Amino acid sequence: MDKKRNVEQFSRADFVKILTNRLKAVAGGKNAPVSDLYSHTPNKLAAALHPAVQHLKVKEIIEHNPDMKSFLFAPDTAAGTKSLAWFSAGQYIVIALPVNGKLISRPYSIASSPRDTLNGTLRITVKRVDGGIASGYMLDNWTVGTTVIASAPLGDFTYEPLRDAKTVIGIAGGSGITPFRAFAKAITEGDEDFSLILLYGSRTMADAVFSDEITEMAKTCPKIKLVNVLSEEKVKGCENGFITAKLIRKYAPKDEAYSIFLCGPQAMYDFADKEIETLGIRRKFVRHELFGEYFHPERNADYSGDITKTYRLTVRIAGNERTIDCPADTSLLRAMEAAGINAPSDCRSGRCGWCHSQLISGEVYVPQSVDGRRIADKIYGYVHPCCTFPLSDVTLDVPPIPYG
Amino acid sequence: MKTYDVIVVGAGNGGLVAATSTAKEGFRTLLLEKHNLPGGCATSFVRGRFEFEAALHELCNRATSPKQESIDKIFKRLGVDVPLVYETALFRAIVKGENGYDVVMRPGYDGFLDSIEAAVPGCRDKVKAFIDLIGVLDGAQDYIDEKGINPLALYNQYGDFMRIAAHSTKDVMEAFGIPEKAQSILGTYWGYLGPPIDDLNALHYISLLAAFANTPPAMPYHRSHELSLALVKALQGYGGEIQYNSEVTQFLYDEKGAAIGVIANGDAYYAKKIISNIIPHNVFNRSDEKVIPTAAKKLANARKFGMTFVTLYLGLDCSMEDLGINDYSVFISSDPDSRVQFNQRNNFGMYVVNCLNKALPDSSPEGTCTLFFTIPYMPGDFPENLAPQDYKKFKNEIAEKYIRDYEQTMGVCVMDHIEEIVIATPVTFARYLGTPEGAIYGYASETWDNVVSRSALKDLENKIPNLFFCGGHAARGDGYPSAYITGAMTANDVIKELRRGK
Repeated sequence: MDKKRNVEQFSRADFVKILTNRLKAVAGGKNAPVSDLYSHTPNKLAAALHPAVQHLKVKEIIEHNPDMKSFLFAPDTAAGTKSLAWFSAGQYIVIALPVNGKLISRPYSIASSPRDTLNGTLRITVKRVDGGIASGYMLDNWTVGTTVIASAPLGDFTYEPLRDAKTVIGIAGGSGITPFRAFAKAITEGDEDFSLILLYGSRTMADAVFSDEITEMAKTCPKIKLVNVLSEEKVKGCENGFITAKLIRKYAPKDEAYSIFLCGPQAMYDFADKEIETLGIRRKFVRHELFGEYFHPERNADYSGDITKTYRLTVRIAGNERTIDCPADTSLLRAMEAAGINAPSDCRSGRCGWCHSQLISGEVYVPQSVDGRRIADKIYGYVHPCCTFPLSDVTLDVPPIPYG
Repeated sequence: MKTYDVIVVGAGNGGLVAATSTAKEGFRTLLLEKHNLPGGCATSFVRGRFEFEAALHELCNRATSPKQESIDKIFKRLGVDVPLVYETALFRAIVKGENGYDVVMRPGYDGFLDSIEAAVPGCRDKVKAFIDLIGVLDGAQDYIDEKGINPLALYNQYGDFMRIAAHSTKDVMEAFGIPEKAQSILGTYWGYLGPPIDDLNALHYISLLAAFANTPPAMPYHRSHELSLALVKALQGYGGEIQYNSEVTQFLYDEKGAAIGVIANGDAYYAKKIISNIIPHNVFNRSDEKVIPTAAKKLANARKFGMTFVTLYLGLDCSMEDLGINDYSVFISSDPDSRVQFNQRNNFGMYVVNCLNKALPDSSPEGTCTLFFTIPYMPGDFPENLAPQDYKKFKNEIAEKYIRDYEQTMGVCVMDHIEEIVIATPVTFARYLGTPEGAIYGYASETWDNVVSRSALKDLENKIPNLFFCGGHAARGDGYPSAYITGAMTANDVIKELRRGK
């Protein structure tokens, strides 16, 4: 090879440049504190979109009926939240509640629009659930001025323009209407761009909270249409019965693809999913909001335990260890909450992974339909306690809820 | 008071290996992680019926000399056993435009040389000579690792190392008379390290290229999360502890300025040695400014942050065969010159698309596949005053632009098959990694701050007694192997000091 055409053309002394260049560059560095993390745009924006917590204050309460109220929050500036985090319509926040000296948390869809955050408003709508300690606590105790600790906006029940069809058939049942109020309002405000045809299932018109308001929005926004579907009442202009495939076909666009977004109680999903199956639409066009708390694992064919048993659950958290009871029909998370152990949880549906914990020993059952774990979690013994049920005595290592 | 021999801050790749290494040697080790998962970048996430790899393109697994550290060796030493699948192609590079080309490079020493010869006839020997430099470099590296920098000894024994250590990849390719097109193909991986080849240190790049040419790139079967959990298992097996949701908010020092502990979740933890897997900027911002030596501050302030990315994760309701996708790893560029690719990085200059199903057919359910787009971003590329309310639109515009370009380039239809989509940006990485600018590659490997100069003047970085650094921002630069290796090297330094009772 030609001598000039290989490394011989470089001098061994060139190496010295490595040292001198570096020393020179370092000498030119400022002798000053390094830049603040939040002086960098991506970090500033990340902090604004995903705050560790949101301190809120109830500023208004709207009573829809004796068992359903909307709570409107303002940022609790005194506690350190200067402004509310922007979000995507369809997302939820998790509210922490001190009930009987124990801290419990529950996810609630945001009913206000993303743009409302700019005016310092965040709204959730709470319906009393039979035996629900969280809903009862909020409805009976919260007054204007109550301060609340909530999470950043979470969840992926959102409209994604590159994924979803231009038209969304919304199927809402009961308080499952709340994220659709956010979707509708976001459409009117230009923050979302799709057509929403909302099939809203209620027993009677009196139960159809937000119906008037969304109908009002539809008057000035052709992208929104609301159809009340009443199961126990016949009213002119409303559909009667349940949300069937036939009804979906009646309102869906005839010659273009559409997405279906569902939010409501489990019974509604069970019914609607069977109907949707007969429509033959692609899986990508059907999206469910969180399924919510899982009950009755024993109803699954692959459940092999004895549901009447109660096991011992040993919990290691933040350097402490406690052993508590966990009945076979109770999720590890609920058992910990009942015992006053402050464990992380957000979606309570197996999906978000915030409760991710290490199974040190014991056998457990995770219903397949809510098993949102990573594959390696299953190999290495990690579980989401919110939808994990004991089949034996269990030892669990749980991360602490972060400070602050 | 909670006391340990070693506290490792951050369970990224470097931190995991460092903590496992000190625990294995019997030192009481605590690993503190701000998230509820280990791994840092080495993780995965679930959307619908898909589990997406978050970061890894491929593991550059083997050492190029018997003495060199490698993932293989580190994992073996630590008793970590994660099965890997090896790829059958290195990459496909598609360059558009007048001097464009479409080339598939094969792994294995001969496969590599044969494919470059097929693409650019007559260049085989020149490329061979270039790749073979790895022998010289390894010898020198082994020498340095063992005996440190001794310019005179290196001058005599490792002349070629001395000659090229200060030069760019492009300079050295030119010196071997490698034709431009072959330079472009060989330079395809520049984005794995950051700077284009006219700025990218030759030694650094040759070590990457030679490793890839010698052993096919590999992937774990169950995403990076498997690597991270395997390391946690090893750590715990040696009696080490890992504590999640425990962000270190303060570093503690004694009156002489030596590191003695940290505060996480409001609790103080003390140790003889602190290893930081988090970037020096964040450590300094959480330390009493008085203890940071002038040299360390000046170094940090002189540095630029490294590369970050916009990444798209697509779960498609169609198999790769039905879509007509045949490659695991495709690099798509608008121009053969890596400088142009770099300069146009936000406008199709260069981006990478991986289809994991090619390497791992079962990595998504039957009749589906996933695509992973990687689009380089540098600090400052992100629009400065983007408001939170405009962020979603901003993300989707980039995603749409790149998906359309990919469809057009490859002649495939992707958009209609998107069942799941996640778009990550520097904001996402700022959120999860916590690095300034959402930097993934730590500090930029620019001319004066490349891995050779970092290793040559290592002491500049470690001026604070009892405080050590490992990870993508450390001496070996970014990438999984580099982070793992600095984890192991740093643990060695710490173990030596602990054994000496220092």
